Amino acid sequence: MRIGMPHMGNTYIPFKALFQRLNVDFVLSPISNRRTLSLGVRHSPEGLCIPFKLTLGNLIEATELGADTLLMPSGYGICRLGYYAMTQEQILHDLGYNNIKVIGVGFSEHKLFGLLKIIKQLSNNAPWIRIISAFRIGLTKLNALDKIERVVQKIRAVELVKGTANKLYAKAVKAIDEADDYNTLKKVETGYINQLKQIDKNPQAQPLIVGITGEFYVLLEPFSNLDVENELGKLGVEVRRRLFISGWTKFSLFLNSLGINEMAKIHKAALPYLKRDIGGDGWESVGEKVLHAKEYDGLIHLAPFTCMPEIVAQNIMPSTKENIPVLTILCDEQTTKTGMLTRLEAFVDLLERKRRARHNNRY
Amino acid sequence: MKVYLGVDVGSVTTKIAGLDENDELVTHTYLPTQGKPIEMTQLGLKQIKQQLPEDVDICGVATTGSARYLAGVIIGADLVKNEITSHAVATLQYTPQVQTIIEIGGQDSKIIIIRDGIITDFGMNTVCAAGTGSFLDHQAARLDMNIEEFSQRALDSSTSVRIAGRCTVFAESDMIHKQQMGHRIEDIVYGLCQALVRNYLNNVGLGKDIKPPIVFQGGVAFNQGIVKALQEELDAEIIVLPHHEVMGAIGVALLAHEEMVNNNNGSKFRGFGISEVKYHTSSFECKACPNQCEIAQLSLDGQVLARWGGRCDRWERSPSS
Repeated sequence: MRIGMPHMGNTYIPFKALFQRLNVDFVLSPISNRRTLSLGVRHSPEGLCIPFKLTLGNLIEATELGADTLLMPSGYGICRLGYYAMTQEQILHDLGYNNIKVIGVGFSEHKLFGLLKIIKQLSNNAPWIRIISAFRIGLTKLNALDKIERVVQKIRAVELVKGTANKLYAKAVKAIDEADDYNTLKKVETGYINQLKQIDKNPQAQPLIVGITGEFYVLLEPFSNLDVENELGKLGVEVRRRLFISGWTKFSLFLNSLGINEMAKIHKAALPYLKRDIGGDGWESVGEKVLHAKEYDGLIHLAPFTCMPEIVAQNIMPSTKENIPVLTILCDEQTTKTGMLTRLEAFVDLLERKRRARHNNRY
Repeated sequence: MKVYLGVDVGSVTTKIAGLDENDELVTHTYLPTQGKPIEMTQLGLKQIKQQLPEDVDICGVATTGSARYLAGVIIGADLVKNEITSHAVATLQYTPQVQTIIEIGGQDSKIIIIRDGIITDFGMNTVCAAGTGSFLDHQAARLDMNIEEFSQRALDSSTSVRIAGRCTVFAESDMIHKQQMGHRIEDIVYGLCQALVRNYLNNVGLGKDIKPPIVFQGGVAFNQGIVKALQEELDAEIIVLPHHEVMGAIGVALLAHEEMVNNNNGSKFRGFGISEVKYHTSSFECKACPNQCEIAQLSLDGQVLARWGGRCDRWERSPSS
């Protein structure tokens, strides 16, 4: 059995560590690129969203490299995503890859034990102790990656020489990928965080704080959002994102089953404008705008083109009483940044001028 | 004579405006880009030079429009600014009380909401260019009219014909059906103007607080049919300023002036001589990592002036570094 899976940001690193520890053959396909996009677009129904198309491209590329068992995020009650695994399997069969199996994995649906059981099957019935240990190293890598990314989001906005943080970040990701035990991982994590914090900063920098919210996949896969966070960093903006895979995993696998709901505050904030979950992440998008209106200078809302929940959220956002400027960016097949950069620059100009006006009024 | 130049290289048209020290418009030009942003910037500069006296001193240059970075490298811009800010700055210069700016250009349409002289919100068309100037051009060409005639005939409409406006592909087939059913061309053309306006207000204008004074600019503001349809739909006066088509260039020239007053280091303008040289553009695919970025480069006499398009800074090179 050879395992493959779609890409989303750096998530391949913890999964690779997990499967390698269990001696499962893990096929690492190229990270999403223009070929992935072309393959996905060519073989997808036209009206589907970019998450479907890119993940299909990833699965095709993994299949080309010999993977025969593909893992695809899934689950019921969220959005069309619930059908993606089986649709993609059908498409792969139609392409002539007859023996490919696509397994839908829903974290919140299978819960921790269900997920561990899937891993046990895939690892040819490895002993539980080895599964738990492999699972732990994966989680540790995931946590380290996200901790470092949070620091990078802050430093990008204020670094003196633009691009310094990104260079270190790339090295850190590689080091985490290569690290093999907890000690090394800890050392890599603290080492890079210290180095990042020591990057020379522009003493005049007063970064604007911009929140970023929207649909899960386009938030976390830089190829699909044209690297929007990095572009904001170049414009001197500090990006705040609630959604990190490590945090999400912690809640959906562990804490939610104990009755702790990290979204309760967000949902409550959204209630006056949207009373229920509408699928995808639409409810959360509205809630985040309301909740953080005082704390952020502005909000970037990312939505895949044709995504119903996010379009509903987009239409509700202008009417909330808690008001901050929101820029909705629709992510689709475009690969040039020109259009997005124009909007980002104008948005940052707007926030800057607003802040200046607020400042002048105060004195 | 001291002059500040603003250069707006858009997808469909290239605009250049020159302001004197008192921010009075002394020269301007408006050219079709025709997919050749470099050549048209060069040609535009040549025309501007001819309109200006011999002893002109170019004290500052700034660029805007979708090719603003490319144009900035060629010209030696002191400032590169997005179109939204540029349009707002220019409009505020002529109509300080403006609260809403509607701008419909060749490939994009925007709305800018202004309160007390500050941009408080803006919207821009998303993945699709439906309802912009290019589509109107295309339809006028299909009906074998130039755009002036199109505009005139829209005003001659007596009853409007409803045209589907959501998508220009639907709009086109709807127009053909109505035409084959025998409706008057004038009514169809005006129906299209109304559909475009509806589409604009439902997409770009979605959730925006549109208050008068409303200023309408961009190339499409030449079209009297659209002006009339906007007036009817918004039930408010629509102001079309003289030189509305070069507002972006005027705005960025104003910003160039401001920039040069604040940082007086002398302009980086490369001189009118750049109209005569031959720039070379090319692109290649970077093989360094799986991202396979498409890198575009601009060179002059075999020397690379600028590169861009990469996700990392491996190839990035700007003229300053």
